[in-house]
Amino acid sequence: METNLTSSAFKELAAAASGIMNPAVDDWRSRGGKVVGYFCSHVPTEVLMAAGILPFRMRGTGSTGTELSDAYFSSINCSFPRHTFNQALKGEYDFLDGLLCISSCDHVRRVYDNWKQNLPTPFIRIMSLPKKVGDPQVAWYREEIQILRDELGKHFGVEISDDRLREAIALRNQTRRLQRQLYELRKREHPPISGAETLAVMVAGSSIPAEPYNQLLRTLLDDLAQSNGSREYRARLMVVGSELDDPEYLDIIEGQGGLVVTDSICYGTRTMWVDVDETAADPVGALARYYIQERPSCPRMNGDQARRSQFLQDLIREFQVDGVIGERMLFCDFWCAEHYMNKVDLKEVGIPFLQLDREYILSGKGQLRTRIQAFLETMGR
Amino acid sequence: MHDKHNKDAIEKSLNRYKKERDWFAFLLQAAEMMDTPEGKLQVKLLRILIDSKEKVIDCSENGKPFIAAYYCTAPELFTAMDLPWFMIMETPFLAASAPYITEDLEGTEEIGLGTDLCTAIRLPIYYIETGQMPVPTAVIGLLSPCDGTTMLQQVLRHNSAWKNVPLFSPDPPYSSDERAIKYFANELRQMVRFIEEHTGHKLDIDRLREVCEESNRCYSLWQEYNELRRAVPCPHGWEIGGAQAFAVSQCFKAGDPRCTDWFRQLVECGEEKIKAGRGANDYAPERIRLLWFDIMPYGWIFEFMPWLEFEWGAILVTDMFSNFPYTLIDTSSEETMFHDLAKRNLMDVPMIRQARGTAENFSSDIVRLVKDYKIDAVIWPGHMGHKDGAATAGIMRATCRDIGVPFLHIGLDLFDRRYTSVDEVKDKVSQFFTGMGLG
Repeated sequence: METNLTSSAFKELAAAASGIMNPAVDDWRSRGGKVVGYFCSHVPTEVLMAAGILPFRMRGTGSTGTELSDAYFSSINCSFPRHTFNQALKGEYDFLDGLLCISSCDHVRRVYDNWKQNLPTPFIRIMSLPKKVGDPQVAWYREEIQILRDELGKHFGVEISDDRLREAIALRNQTRRLQRQLYELRKREHPPISGAETLAVMVAGSSIPAEPYNQLLRTLLDDLAQSNGSREYRARLMVVGSELDDPEYLDIIEGQGGLVVTDSICYGTRTMWVDVDETAADPVGALARYYIQERPSCPRMNGDQARRSQFLQDLIREFQVDGVIGERMLFCDFWCAEHYMNKVDLKEVGIPFLQLDREYILSGKGQLRTRIQAFLETMGR
Repeated sequence: MHDKHNKDAIEKSLNRYKKERDWFAFLLQAAEMMDTPEGKLQVKLLRILIDSKEKVIDCSENGKPFIAAYYCTAPELFTAMDLPWFMIMETPFLAASAPYITEDLEGTEEIGLGTDLCTAIRLPIYYIETGQMPVPTAVIGLLSPCDGTTMLQQVLRHNSAWKNVPLFSPDPPYSSDERAIKYFANELRQMVRFIEEHTGHKLDIDRLREVCEESNRCYSLWQEYNELRRAVPCPHGWEIGGAQAFAVSQCFKAGDPRCTDWFRQLVECGEEKIKAGRGANDYAPERIRLLWFDIMPYGWIFEFMPWLEFEWGAILVTDMFSNFPYTLIDTSSEETMFHDLAKRNLMDVPMIRQARGTAENFSSDIVRLVKDYKIDAVIWPGHMGHKDGAATAGIMRATCRDIGVPFLHIGLDLFDRRYTSVDEVKDKVSQFFTGMGLG
């Protein structure tokens, strides 16, 4: 990823995002800290934090092939779980003390089944995430979180009290607020940080403990506060889609003159646009409400498409977006149909939309550049 | 002017549906010429099917309430509420062999849907988006077993002609325990309240009891029939007793005495063949007993299944849609009925059973069926839409290795012959049988 940022905090964050293992995790483990990997931004990481466990969001960063996981998955499966499971089979995730899966999508939920049969990780669990956003679903998810709380407590020998949950919620909210401040800077005419650089910062946030992350983020915000970006651009873009953890993908888009100023992706606004209620008497209930009803949803949550569409339009207005790129991993049914609807909705409000299908690891860079150039040209930029 | 516009829209929405009815009427004519017990079963089934389509057409044309729903949304409740319904995915499930399907598949591509989205999802989306599906009074959506079904409901809700049609989708939990059953039973109760509110049809608990009792008779006969299919040679193959049993019990009018009667006749037919020592195909003796672990390849079934029998003596003894440990409904109270309907529709019905939750049922069903039915080979067709199954291929392969039965994973589209040609599928199957020394 090309960067002009000289901030040492940024460099540390970008380094954490560029691989799986990083010095902060090493340090955490050397002090006896436990690490639990998790898939999907609907996992209530606050419960892990309250148990004194480092939540580590699963990625396939650094993967170059799926030679091992191909024995379990098929060619019509999304390349994200295939690469990530391949990394696990190669031993890259041997440092995990546990794995927390969720019924997120048809591809990722099967990592749980294959992992359970093939890898000896001591604690492995899958959560049942509802597919609607009503009150009965909040009640169901509250029970799921409570079960997780009990099982984590039992397995790791810790008591996860309400107070500890509240502290974890407050700490995680602090992260969200700092991340929103970072996004606020991107509303400027010349943002001091690019889309690719922001993504690296966001990815790092799910790979290192919250306290040092928040400290690095504060330093970075101080470093950026007075500066303006020098990057010239042809259009302000928003990226919408699913699991995207590779800053280089956005770097290519930005290399063609399309500055990515905001997003609705699994590492972006959807994880931090609103906070969990810190004042609720029942912190478990607050988490359930947040993950089911309050945070911006993803297409797997049925009956919420109109709200999602409105969320995009609000971001477009706030960040003065000229065009939207809908990225989608091949074989993803959720985003296939969601982008089909996004295209219609955005056309109605006069916002150009480009859909890009991709593999998890960056390939076809030349083709990507051509598509972006053509998109910017059709926008008259 | 407004009325004329509405009338035109209704007429257009029924065009394809009527064509489908006519396709079944054509198949009925052909079946009526077969003077065999199996032919009579086909006739009976097609009459029930056509009758159910006629009812929906009548409702649509005359402004009577009807709903769109799915086989796994407790259809006994629709029967008890005397509410005509059709399955949103009816075409791929029941009519994918119709002559116009290729044209419709091309239509799905023209409207810009990704071709890696399941064909069984793309087809109904295409019909909805082009105004070729009857617009019902209310919709009961489906949120399992796959991501595609969830998106189908959302595209439907997004469509301008459907966006004001009331929609309720029962939420299926991922887990399979008592807590999940109770939660889903509550979702079904909400579904009933929703239907009552939007259609005016009320649920009478005594009527539900009658329907569930009839449905139980149906399922008991099905279970009895499935015992008969253990016989060597198997009395029936792909043509009768598999997919049809699923359709009769769940797709048209669950808990209808005509369906029970169909199963009774099916059992008699199977028994007679076993007594006579006859197998599925008098002209192709059984050499390989096959478990086809998915939906049948409806898009090209007539080119493939007879070939399996004649070329290899491979008899489809059982498949994913025709054999389950179905739970009978305890009709002693309203609570037990909702509980057991929830259990059946969450944990028993085909595809939902395997694909909704963790992969355990893929393995346990294979082990059970291979053992009970003396299966010689398991074929996982690898339909392009069954992505959770695709991610379970390694588990299925390992299961088959453990119990010593050959396993084949093909990779195809059950509804679209253009994805993997029928010749290529035949070639792969032939290589597999040859390599495994079968047949």
